[in-house]
Amino acid sequence: MASASEADADISQAYLPDFCAAGTVLVILLVAELVAIVLTLTSHTTPGLFLTELATLSMYVLWLALLGTALLCRIRPWVENRGKTQAFVISFFLLVSLCLILAELTFQLSSYFDALSLINDSHAGFVLRSLAISTIVIAMAMRYMYVSSEWRRSIVLEAQARVSALQALIRPHFLFNSMNTIASLTRSDPRRAEEAVEDLADLLRANLGGPKDRTTLKEELEVAAIYQRIEKLRLGERLNVRWNVQDLPMRALIPSLTIQPLLENAIYHGIELLPDGGEVTVNGKRSGEQLQIDISNPVAAGGQRKRDGNKMALANIRQRFELAYGNRASVTVDESASHYQVQLQFPLDESLP
Amino acid sequence: MNILIVDDEAPARSRLRQIIEDMAEHAVVGEADNGRTALEMAAKLSPDVVLLDIRMPGLNGIETAHHLNAGTHSPAIVFTTAYDEYAIEAFDAQAIGYVLKPVRRERLAQALRQAARLSANVLGEIARKAGLPEQRKHLCARTHGELKLIPIKDVYSFHADQKYVRVQHKGGQDLINDSLKTLEQDFADTFVRIHRSVLIAVRQIESLKKTSDGQVQVKLRNDDSGDGLIISRRHVANVRRRIKEG
Repeated sequence: MASASEADADISQAYLPDFCAAGTVLVILLVAELVAIVLTLTSHTTPGLFLTELATLSMYVLWLALLGTALLCRIRPWVENRGKTQAFVISFFLLVSLCLILAELTFQLSSYFDALSLINDSHAGFVLRSLAISTIVIAMAMRYMYVSSEWRRSIVLEAQARVSALQALIRPHFLFNSMNTIASLTRSDPRRAEEAVEDLADLLRANLGGPKDRTTLKEELEVAAIYQRIEKLRLGERLNVRWNVQDLPMRALIPSLTIQPLLENAIYHGIELLPDGGEVTVNGKRSGEQLQIDISNPVAAGGQRKRDGNKMALANIRQRFELAYGNRASVTVDESASHYQVQLQFPLDESLP
Repeated sequence: MNILIVDDEAPARSRLRQIIEDMAEHAVVGEADNGRTALEMAAKLSPDVVLLDIRMPGLNGIETAHHLNAGTHSPAIVFTTAYDEYAIEAFDAQAIGYVLKPVRRERLAQALRQAARLSANVLGEIARKAGLPEQRKHLCARTHGELKLIPIKDVYSFHADQKYVRVQHKGGQDLINDSLKTLEQDFADTFVRIHRSVLIAVRQIESLKKTSDGQVQVKLRNDDSGDGLIISRRHVANVRRRIKEG
């Protein structure tokens, strides 16, 4: 993934796989070879000649598959723009036509080189048989690609929905409390009120930008710092945050809205319920190509635990980490009677300068 | 009216003070930043109305309200809250004075007119809807005008004397105003009645034993007096069941 926006477009808009990619070509060749094996197994009659028959058929099928893939590779950008249904219908008919043409060509070539024994069928019989088999195989492949693209799309949509849900979740309490703080400061300390309004606006802008797949650590930490400033106005001396993040590469990418919600949880469930407040620590570590961020906070002894909101934010972050990194990332919670810690581990991906 | 402001956040307190000071008919007599201080100040200043934040560390607003109610001169209460969707539902249903943050002048004036004493049931419902523990975590004892908060987890047993209930706890014993019946209802999950006039903490039970005259005695873990408490016949089965359940 070169950059966040590119990856985003790739997932949410593509219906067809990238036929120009080596991985896709390999899979298609494997499937084609399997089809060739199945066809040989069912048709072969002469004992001892299985491999010879397979070789002949493989050559035919693999050429078909390769040329079909090359065709799709070239036309994909064009058909993608025509919408999902059209993309599949057009691709399907183009492939079937290609197979028809190639079947005809093969027959003509065989007869030209006097090798019709390889085909062992009448002209019409061979072409029709090829057409029928390729139609069925192509239809099945198309159906598979359609379903898997639907599946990928639903995952992306779900993740986006969850980001929005998370945004809705963090808003009300914090917003109203901040407004109240600002209303109070307008009289007692207009200058700080002004700063608070600016901070709040920045924070809202970062959130209203819509769910971004990933953002740079620098931006994510800035959002969290703004959040901290606003909360500091409200909680005063009770809130301290220690940032040990100088080891982290600031250009590294991280799913957006992860550190700020975790900081919010630490404050809401931890610091706010401690009569004397406490300190949230954010520790960042880099070991090779792996990044680690720990966010920990003290909790009130036998405190009032209303963890539902917390769990929702965590589940959301977990899901988005999984979506972005698969099993190369982890989100773990460490909880004791007096402390609560969330640990994020994810691979280093840097944004382009 | 004389008003006491209780909120753990300084800007929230000053906002309320600013608005009230603009109103000729009301005066702020004090500010507290936690429930405990609030109770002490209420006892000393006897405010007419207490403006109470719900979400506070230590003693939360709901529990503070419970204890304010228990006092002899109990003030009317107006809750202030930023956004407790469900608590607001409870307020509306019960027509209780409450103000939403950010606080509006007219809304506060209206809430002050609505201020009223709140029953335990109402407080329980608000706590439940706001996602706070419904149960009190402390008892409030007043001796010689001094206020003492006793954590429920430190309590060994309650004994009804003529007019008061005596609490045996880690720090000694005190008299409280609550009735044994209310205490039994409020703490049904951790306390069990062993006698018409006695409730004990289930987790404090060390052993049961039969006396020579056929009565059942219970020995409490932290009771050094040596003589156990008698369990009256009709409560024995229930006490045994509760011990089994843990």
